Amino acid sequence: MAKSPTGSSHPPIRHLQTVVDVLETPALARIYAHILDDGPVTVADLVEDLGVPQGTAYDYVEKLETAGLVEKVRDQRPCEYAAEPVTLTLTTDGNSRTIAPALIAAVARREDDGDIDTFVDRHGLDGLAQALDYAAEYVEGSVNARIAARELDVSPLEAEIVLQALEPVVETYAVGE
Amino acid sequence: MTTAYVADTGVFVRCGGPDNDKFQRLRGAVCRAGVTLSVPRRVYEELGGDSIADEYPSGDIPCSTGFEEGWIVVAAELDYANPLVSTVMDDARRVIANETGREEDGIEKADTALVGLAAQLLDGGDAEGVDLLTTDRPAGRAAERLLPEHGFEGQIEYRYVSESYLESVTAADFL
Repeated sequence: MAKSPTGSSHPPIRHLQTVVDVLETPALARIYAHILDDGPVTVADLVEDLGVPQGTAYDYVEKLETAGLVEKVRDQRPCEYAAEPVTLTLTTDGNSRTIAPALIAAVARREDDGDIDTFVDRHGLDGLAQALDYAAEYVEGSVNARIAARELDVSPLEAEIVLQALEPVVETYAVGE
Repeated sequence: MTTAYVADTGVFVRCGGPDNDKFQRLRGAVCRAGVTLSVPRRVYEELGGDSIADEYPSGDIPCSTGFEEGWIVVAAELDYANPLVSTVMDDARRVIANETGREEDGIEKADTALVGLAAQLLDGGDAEGVDLLTTDRPAGRAAERLLPEHGFEGQIEYRYVSESYLESVTAADFL
């Protein structure tokens, strides 16, 4: 089950499909996160700021726009885009997981941060989402890496590595608030 | 006053790989001040021999260089037979459980080793003061709260080792 409390007029399934694509494509996540953080931006800004090829930037922005995750806020050229902070709550068999901008920002960092990339390879996106919750607590000081390690079922060193890697995401997105 | 510097796992993770500026900065600061960083044995075990961590760029922790060069040393084993050490560790367990909203049973010795080592160093007269360098806020706060209760008022300091701490650390921080 999925619901979007953002009140988008776009069809939820298309929305969902794009969110899945965003989570599975770090380059797409990076574009979405950048528009969310620094928008409104033009495609030229994305090319310059992120160093992505122009064609890719156009394709990705169009994909995000079609799904309603990004909207054109200036029609005249160069067009400017702003992003909607999407939040999806998925519930399956009584387990629910919220996909919020912080998770997308964490995925976006996979390209630049080998620690986050390795963690996702080893523990998947669910593992990343869980680690992000712990990172919020770690930054706040209400958990340490050793407790997180036991509860995430990873080694203490691995927990410390991923929690530190996720700190900047938590600091930008105020996870858990 | 002699001060002992006790460092935790997160400090070395924060330093990054062998060529990282933060590592060189910490090393320079510690060496210029002519002090050593002591790590509890549990920390030493966490840092080495974790084959999973080798898969991570930050798992390539350069502290073995520090051990070889002598500015990082493994502290003596915790003496659980010393009533002060065991009492402080039990108290720390309670404080950390409380601070983290966990059951006391879920808090292990590894979580309280920093506090135990600080107590042992002060009690044994090895140091008049202990500075804890850690990213473990609950343990740091437990040490600052508990050791004064055992007569070590003003003899314990906890430094949270953030990115900015390592970017600006100098020998003056260890003098």
